[in-house]
Amino acid sequence: MPGKIKDMIDTIIEQRAQGSHIIASTIKIKLILKGINPDKYTSESPDNINVINKLDKLAEELGLKL
Amino acid sequence: MNVITAYSNQENLDEITQDLKQQIGEFDAKMVLFFASSTFDPDQTAAQMQTAFQNIPVFGCTTAGEIVTGKMLKNSIVAMAFNANIIEDIDIQIVENISNGETEGVDHAFAKFKQHFNQEVLTMDINQYVGIILIDGLSGAEERIMDRVGDLTNLLFVGGSAGDDLKFEKTYVYANGKAYSDAALLALMKPKVKFDILKTQSFCELDKKLIATKVNESERTIIEFNNKPATVAYAEAVGCSVEDAANNFMLNPVGLMVGDEPYVRSPQQIQDQNIVFYCNVLEDTELSLLKAQDMIADTKQALENKQKEMGSISVIINFHCILRTLELEAKNLMEDYGQIFADIPTIGLSTYGESYIGHINQTATMLVFN
Repeated sequence: MPGKIKDMIDTIIEQRAQGSHIIASTIKIKLILKGINPDKYTSESPDNINVINKLDKLAEELGLKL
Repeated sequence: MNVITAYSNQENLDEITQDLKQQIGEFDAKMVLFFASSTFDPDQTAAQMQTAFQNIPVFGCTTAGEIVTGKMLKNSIVAMAFNANIIEDIDIQIVENISNGETEGVDHAFAKFKQHFNQEVLTMDINQYVGIILIDGLSGAEERIMDRVGDLTNLLFVGGSAGDDLKFEKTYVYANGKAYSDAALLALMKPKVKFDILKTQSFCELDKKLIATKVNESERTIIEFNNKPATVAYAEAVGCSVEDAANNFMLNPVGLMVGDEPYVRSPQQIQDQNIVFYCNVLEDTELSLLKAQDMIADTKQALENKQKEMGSISVIINFHCILRTLELEAKNLMEDYGQIFADIPTIGLSTYGESYIGHINQTATMLVFN
């Protein structure tokens, strides 16, 4: 099912930002610097296992549970 | 007056620290931040600066040039004393052995912050707390340290990589009366006034994309752009010969674009057909070729915009890339640049890289206070 990557990115931003737009935009920059550009993924994006694994690791580093 | 700015370029360290102490006088300082030329003995610098200001946090680092209200200096020490009306609380932690590839020291520093402020750093209000990071500019560890800092907090840590006046031998951060190499200094502050970050890089994006298709991340080296040898692809994008590519590095770096804003990655040198950068680039990262703009006009405009946004700015800490300083020197614009900050108490340094969310190059990244 496509779109898993976008869902994971949205969850990371939502969990960490807790409704703050400023923190959300900072998290987005952090993700870009870590090699994941949120703007490149939509609900139609295929579920690339390498990116999914990277996001899992990244969520763990951020102390989040997806 | 909530800060006092001082500088000295006397002959020796004894005279300098006495001079700075005299200029700051009886001001009731809560903390002193200083930036010192690497020409002074590091251990003596740390010890004498702490002795001069006794029982308050005194911290800083070595530089590749100093900045103080209205001036860009060399072979000096610049200092800024802050009182309790501007800095309510501060805790400073040193992370040592940062080039060993580990980041546990950052976690340890954050545990200490929690103890000091009696609050989890992750839950601190981004409008009430801000951090300064000063880091060994020759450690190659900036990305890893900033990445971990960003994992552990939503607060902004801004700062720069310590310099050594372009000798590229050893850089130091200073705190607790000591000089530390291979270390990062993390200062978490609770200001009493509004603050913000101003980052400007004086570049515009060109319509030329370079995708880092093969990299050596730990060596900060790009082996291939767009599946071609890095130098070949870069030269094609710039429109110059491979032989001439390095001559374009300063005015045509590349940027990782976040919306319209570049996070600049500056090429340093060519090795074989690879390009070594001043910060790392991850594989598959899409970069845009950038073109230098008028640095004086751009910085003035950026400062004016921030002043309008905040109402006013009363204090600036400027982390200014050495590559910008070298460009200003080459164009004989050092005095003009210093004058941009003539009316606002300012302290700063020429860095070996700036820290803002990540490790970046060729910016002026400033912590500004209302």
